[in-house]
Amino acid sequence: MKLSCLQENLSRGLGIVGRAVATRSTLPITQNILLATEQSRLKLAATNLEMATTCWIGAKVEQDGAITIPARLLIDFVNSLPNDLIEITLPTNSHTLELKSGRFQAHINGIDAEDFPPIPKISDGMTTNIEAAALREGITQVVFAAATEESRPVLTGINAEFEGEQLDLAAADGFRLAVHKMTLVAPVDQKTTVIIPARSLNELNRLLGDQEEPVEIITNQQKSQILFRLKNAELVSQLIQGSFPNYSQVIPQSYSTRAVVDINEFLRVIKMSSIFARDASGIVRLVITPGAELTPGKITASAQAEEIGGNVSEIDALADGEEAKIAFNVKYLSDVLSVLHQAQVALEVTTPSSPGVIRPIGVDNYVHVIMPMFVQW
Amino acid sequence: MARGIFHIDLDAFFVSVEQVVNPRLKGKPVIVGGDPERRGVVASASYEARPFGIHAGMPLSKARRLCPQAIFIQANFSRYREAADKFMEILADFSPCIEPLGLDEAYLDVTGCEEPYGSLRQMALAIKDRIRRELRLTASVGIATCKVVAKIASDLCKPDGLLEVAPGKERHFLNPLPVARLPGVGKKTEQVLKGMGITTVGELASLPLNIVEKHFGKFGVVIHRYANGIDDRRVEAPGESKSISQQTTFAQDTLARHFLEANLRHLCQQVSAELRYQDKQARCVTLRLRYADFKTITRQVTLKEASNVSQVIFAAARQLLSEALVQRGKPIRLIGIRVSRLSGKERQLHMFDSEREKLEHLDKAIDQIRKKYGPASIKAGKDISTLNWHPGR
Repeated sequence: MKLSCLQENLSRGLGIVGRAVATRSTLPITQNILLATEQSRLKLAATNLEMATTCWIGAKVEQDGAITIPARLLIDFVNSLPNDLIEITLPTNSHTLELKSGRFQAHINGIDAEDFPPIPKISDGMTTNIEAAALREGITQVVFAAATEESRPVLTGINAEFEGEQLDLAAADGFRLAVHKMTLVAPVDQKTTVIIPARSLNELNRLLGDQEEPVEIITNQQKSQILFRLKNAELVSQLIQGSFPNYSQVIPQSYSTRAVVDINEFLRVIKMSSIFARDASGIVRLVITPGAELTPGKITASAQAEEIGGNVSEIDALADGEEAKIAFNVKYLSDVLSVLHQAQVALEVTTPSSPGVIRPIGVDNYVHVIMPMFVQW
Repeated sequence: MARGIFHIDLDAFFVSVEQVVNPRLKGKPVIVGGDPERRGVVASASYEARPFGIHAGMPLSKARRLCPQAIFIQANFSRYREAADKFMEILADFSPCIEPLGLDEAYLDVTGCEEPYGSLRQMALAIKDRIRRELRLTASVGIATCKVVAKIASDLCKPDGLLEVAPGKERHFLNPLPVARLPGVGKKTEQVLKGMGITTVGELASLPLNIVEKHFGKFGVVIHRYANGIDDRRVEAPGESKSISQQTTFAQDTLARHFLEANLRHLCQQVSAELRYQDKQARCVTLRLRYADFKTITRQVTLKEASNVSQVIFAAARQLLSEALVQRGKPIRLIGIRVSRLSGKERQLHMFDSEREKLEHLDKAIDQIRKKYGPASIKAGKDISTLNWHPGR
């Protein structure tokens, strides 16, 4: 193998695949990155067996070849080189890769590319396309609500339901639920529901970067794997088997109090409350007071930490219904308010122990449900 | 300045409460516990029944054999709880620093509070007088400069007694007493001490500390201090408590897993019930084991979320027990459980599963049954043959 490429391109490519490298693995080769020439480009690939990413960078290929190289060493060395041309050589019948850039050179021992776990080819299941920007927004607005601990594996994934021209993404950790609906570029023939690991979607979101071209989405026939094909990169992920809870029945169909507030103002008072709430089990108490003839409505947010102190903040709200009290974990509120880019948001509540609903104003494709905290008032 | 500590203990509490309600029971051998035809233990026996050898914790069937003419009464716990609440209210009028021990006894730190009464002794008489007038019950009071001496004093002067151990006279008071009088010294410890030629508190107090420590570990340090009349534990109001704990010492050292788990379940139910009674939840569960050789270990785990559900606390404790048994397979003489990092009732509600709610309903129902019919009225089927029940909250 003999080729040359720009340090800038190689470094970016390694950055893309580097996140899929296994950190702890019983299979040592998964801590390596695969380098292979492919149609006068350099292919880089990494896998942790749950997810694999592949990307292609421009290169001047003089002789084809492939090798796997320990990821950490390669990334650290390449990142320390100046932005210049790098010559990469793998002598025939050798497993030692040589890198040379101007007056700097290194050689790194690798493992035969034949031993690298094959990255699944996925083609025979559902196929569709989606705008990159829409997918980016959808992932951002749901992925944080997925469970991080593994006691119920399906909740560590995002439920993706493809039907006709619509894709619904949903995540829930047992305390909150986020649902985002988006439109596909190409409709699917058959309704398909899969559960994608949140880690894979976080990684996909990073790969999407500022790509403008639509993303191709393909599953295999058995619905055990999914492929996201981007402009110069691909991500293949295992799918989580099992059935996601029927979340539609968790979304309240009505409310007794509704308050519309400015998102940034709301986020500010929630963050302010979190200063005290962090010493009080994360509890922020909200009181929604509807307006009267001459007084505007308001939301009062308070947090009290025993022996430390507390705070009370007020913001104006366009509130209707009865006066309402409800307490939430402050983190759940700040998480959702931080990913919304609309100007206003509606908070809908029924009783202090029934779920609260957050809907951005001006769009109808997103809903967020948060279970309250039981507190003494 | 020397502290003024009272230990106040109501005499034959359950029986006395019954005698107030039904004066015809006065002066007769009365046993509270339940139907002697069925399984159960003596919860309380009147002083008239005691000469027959009857004591709390004895199987009812045996009590019936020893004293066939005794009057057996089913325990009525809500009645006792009511009397206990009034008892604590009376004590609160004398000092804000109260530490209740179960229903019928309490420590009171009265340091500096005795002025209006003239002396500690006069103050103690005033307390006894109010208990007699308002509850029509008698109490025994031990007065000392520390908890352990006050407690031993009140035990010695029962019933309706008052015994003051003057500051500086603690060792003089303790020396002639048998070692079993010391709290924490049970049959097993007594035997080991006897083997060392020690039968009185005074002999124990005179032993060099390192010898006691060699035999009993940290526990030895504690009983050696007690034997010397040294006890700097504070009288702590329960509101100040940062943890709740329960422990039990076995009649025989054991490694029987089923027996250990049954006892652990019982202890967990007790601390969980206490958490619920105080409207609290705990985040941290600690298991305490003392081995036959007196080596004591603690193992601790933090719960994912704070809880006061019996089964959740027990599940955590049982896991700790399994791990400890794997690590050290020696017979165990004491098992204890402690819950800490307490918080209020606040908690995050769940979206999908109602498992926790079901367990909470279960605990609520069990608590109500026990409140009405006593702690032994309901227990896990698994544990029926394994456990001996003792009265207590």
